[in-house]
Amino acid sequence: MKQLFGIALLLFSSMQFAQNTTIAVGEKLTFTASYNMSGLMTDIAQVTMETGQVKTSKATLLHLKCTAATFTKWDNFFKIRDLYESYVSPTSLAPYLYKRDINEGSYYKFMQYTFSHKTNSVKSLMRKKNGKGVIYDVNSNVQINVGTKDIVSTIYHIRNLDIHKAMPGDVQNFKVIFDNKELIIGVKYVGKETIQTAIGKRECYKLALSLKNNAVLKGSSNDNLLYLTADANKVPVYAKFKIPVGNGELKIKSATGLKN
Amino acid sequence: MRRLFIVLGFISAVLALIIAVTPLSQIAYVPAVAALIFALIAFYMAKQKQYPKKSIQLIFLLTFIALVLTTYKSVFNVAEVGNLDELELKEEASIEDSKELLEELDLEIDESELEIETEDLEGLQEE
Repeated sequence: MKQLFGIALLLFSSMQFAQNTTIAVGEKLTFTASYNMSGLMTDIAQVTMETGQVKTSKATLLHLKCTAATFTKWDNFFKIRDLYESYVSPTSLAPYLYKRDINEGSYYKFMQYTFSHKTNSVKSLMRKKNGKGVIYDVNSNVQINVGTKDIVSTIYHIRNLDIHKAMPGDVQNFKVIFDNKELIIGVKYVGKETIQTAIGKRECYKLALSLKNNAVLKGSSNDNLLYLTADANKVPVYAKFKIPVGNGELKIKSATGLKN
Repeated sequence: MRRLFIVLGFISAVLALIIAVTPLSQIAYVPAVAALIFALIAFYMAKQKQYPKKSIQLIFLLTFIALVLTTYKSVFNVAEVGNLDELELKEEASIEDSKELLEELDLEIDESELEIETEDLEGLQEE
């Protein structure tokens, strides 16, 4: 009986404190985003993924930050300055605060989610610019399911999965809140593949991504792929995607401050 | 027929030149190659019937300029990110604002988990 209780306690504690073994504070990944123009892949922007830490009087949280900025030559045509942030638990990667600040040409949008995991709800703030250039706020409360995360923490959560235990064909679904709607992202482990990247030739876990209840990602399972290095850091080195207005890819440029 | 190829060649060459000066210069190769093909066909026809070749030479010249410009841009233009000052300021302001928001939040983290987190982060900093 004692042994049974011990095993149950161990299982419970491992579920409660799912350890982050992949993401380090001070990690910085830089990518080049390319878009297919008339059959030619053209580099359009730089994407960065950084981690830091933020201390409050109650806790120390992991700050996940993603930015996207167009290259100089595109700034006069279509300037992009996007900022995505998520403040998560350093151990479980559960999000507490998410911010998305979008500046794309004349389009501006700000989204802020404050997560309440006790009540399974998200307090949402949307800030947008109307036709006259006046900024207005929309506050709402969104009910979410257990385990629903924002898009940034989901990316890091995927990196933290024990992919080495997965078999080719295994699928795991993730609930993501985006634009006040809960989406389901399906991640299928395709297998291992060795690819040439800017940080060397790497053996990678090949993952196929799909959106279950949204048509943003187009094409077959071979059109939306994510490659994570098959090591303890699981660095995303290459991604390709197909959206309604075309297709593009993300290629790693540099990776610093890795945990392992 | 020869005139048709000359007109098509001109259109393609001018299009290649216009695209070559824009950030889309990489795709200037497509109309440039088309202009070369049209110009070569027109040149072959003109040679057979002893017609003047001045206009065809002009197509070759325009295409050559477009190709040189595109190649120069693709070789020497390094992809650089523009001014990020505004974004950096926004990031700093966002962190300060987030700290205030997080202070107000009931973070729902157990005391035990807090200890693990702090130790974990301290360990990482030492590394």
